[in-house]
Amino acid sequence: MLYVEKIKPLSKEFLESIGFYWHTDADQTSYVVDELVLVSTAEVEAYYEAANTLYDMFVEAGQYVIDNNLFHELNIPFNLVELIKNSWANDVHWHLYGRFDFAGGIDGKPIKLIEFNADTPTSLYETAIIQWAMLKANGMDEAKQFNTVFEALKENFKRLVVLGGNTEDFAEYYDGWKILFSSIRGNIEDENTTRLLQTAANEAGFHTDFAYIDEVGFNGSEGIFKGDENFEFWFKLVPWENIAIEEGDLALLLDEIVREQKAIILNPAYTLLFQSKAFMKILWDLFPNHPLLLETSYEPLKGKKQVEKRAFGREGANTIIYDTDMSVMAKVEGDYGNFKPIYQAYVELPKDVEGKSYQAGVFFAYEACGLGFRRGGLIMENFSKFVGHRIKD
Amino acid sequence: MQYIRKISDYMIAGGIGVMVLVSMQGCDQKDENKNALADAAKTQGALVIVDESATGEYKIAEEYPSSTTRVIVRKPDGSERILSQTEIDALVKEEAKKIDNNTSPLTNSNMNSGQMGLGGILLSSIAGGMIGSWIGGKLFNNPTYQNQRATNYSSPQAYSRSTTSFNKPMSTSSTSSTTKSSGFFGSSSGSGSSSSSTSSSSVPSSSGS
Repeated sequence: MLYVEKIKPLSKEFLESIGFYWHTDADQTSYVVDELVLVSTAEVEAYYEAANTLYDMFVEAGQYVIDNNLFHELNIPFNLVELIKNSWANDVHWHLYGRFDFAGGIDGKPIKLIEFNADTPTSLYETAIIQWAMLKANGMDEAKQFNTVFEALKENFKRLVVLGGNTEDFAEYYDGWKILFSSIRGNIEDENTTRLLQTAANEAGFHTDFAYIDEVGFNGSEGIFKGDENFEFWFKLVPWENIAIEEGDLALLLDEIVREQKAIILNPAYTLLFQSKAFMKILWDLFPNHPLLLETSYEPLKGKKQVEKRAFGREGANTIIYDTDMSVMAKVEGDYGNFKPIYQAYVELPKDVEGKSYQAGVFFAYEACGLGFRRGGLIMENFSKFVGHRIKD
Repeated sequence: MQYIRKISDYMIAGGIGVMVLVSMQGCDQKDENKNALADAAKTQGALVIVDESATGEYKIAEEYPSSTTRVIVRKPDGSERILSQTEIDALVKEEAKKIDNNTSPLTNSNMNSGQMGLGGILLSSIAGGMIGSWIGGKLFNNPTYQNQRATNYSSPQAYSRSTTSFNKPMSTSSTSSTTKSSGFFGSSSGSGSSSSSTSSSSVPSSSGS
């Protein structure tokens, strides 16, 4: 059983004053819950260790995918394969951040990895800023939260320059390289998530700018531009598979830009390997019966409760939960039906007294750095709520 | 344990943390169409967080680039107060008088830096350099001031963080005459990755996952 405590909610006016405009769902209910999940230090430590352990496993499995050319198995669009290999081969393509989604860990049950959002994870603002502000507004000790997301991001931006070195040496090695931050026009959540990252980069010491992706100029042999200004780094809150499928010309240009070493793109193309839910099958093959993993297969599992998901589905879309006899327990329709299905053993999410389910999200930026929860029904989807947390001991 | 620490809350959330505090205290101008984050990313000013000790000494705890210059004083009991522009101006003016009379620890090495008042601390910060720029050469070329500055931060890390984040070179743009392709994911194409085409800001649907 999972326990929550009621708190005074942050007002819409306050949330908007700090740039958080996606506070209300389409059904007019609040997206941020006025309750906090109570966790223990030991539970937080277990989430921290789990994310760090899994990241190492992802890296090992990523090398295995590259060595064995398993891109097709992961449903990776063919026009990104060279770009993925290229970004993987060179350390300068530093993975900025991702988010692990977990079941268990707070209900006395073991932590199990549901998936890793490695390319364009959101709920960043909620996790890094909003839940911290909730503690502050309620006069609670703000250090009692597993949340150094913003600081970890700043540190990881510095690693774009110092790589494995000491981030304290950033100023010594930084030579004025600039990061251009981009999101799609017309989505304030994407834009402000991107601007949050821009602010972190700024505070880290980078020269930065923002441009909507339709304003950005690309030249294969020259690099990435806003107007006439050239940028060494480009952060895009646009999924790699969307670039590959919807904007094939852009994928070709980016491939050339990276090959010619004219720009570094964040998150790197290889994060698409981790992002593919089919990667969970590779992990299961390499680490069979690992306690943090759920059995995953490209074919339906035999005689087991399981979840069918699509390799690049989002927000719970195209997800089906099957009972042991393959009867449908829950289903969310969606637009991702053309992607490859995978089948993952079902595990029940932690529940509160009202029977609502919770999924833990642990952000990772060089190491695990913050926890937040999504609350909903059996399948977390577009209308799931964000719930902050507090360490109770 | 790196992630649970009794550290400055601002260190966790950076300049945005300060923005949150400013909004909570209702000191911010309300503006319907303002993108607070876009503002936060602009850096013409500095946010300074000053810690006051039980003995009345001041240290710079954190300092961040910011769109506007603001000073927050944290009292020994943990309460926080944002200084008004009038207070800042008065503090700086008072310290400037001391500099002229050679009674400021900022420029007089015989003075005990432990006596550094809030005005002196402010002028040690980068924000102080901005708001007190009219003092100019009297201060910034003074070797005592240069030596003094680093010691007025709560820790070497705080000083290092401050200097790193303010050390950005304003790099010149390199121009190119070559043709660039653009317009990808343009609003006209209707191919946005965003799963929703709604313009409502209230629906949490995005390119993200």
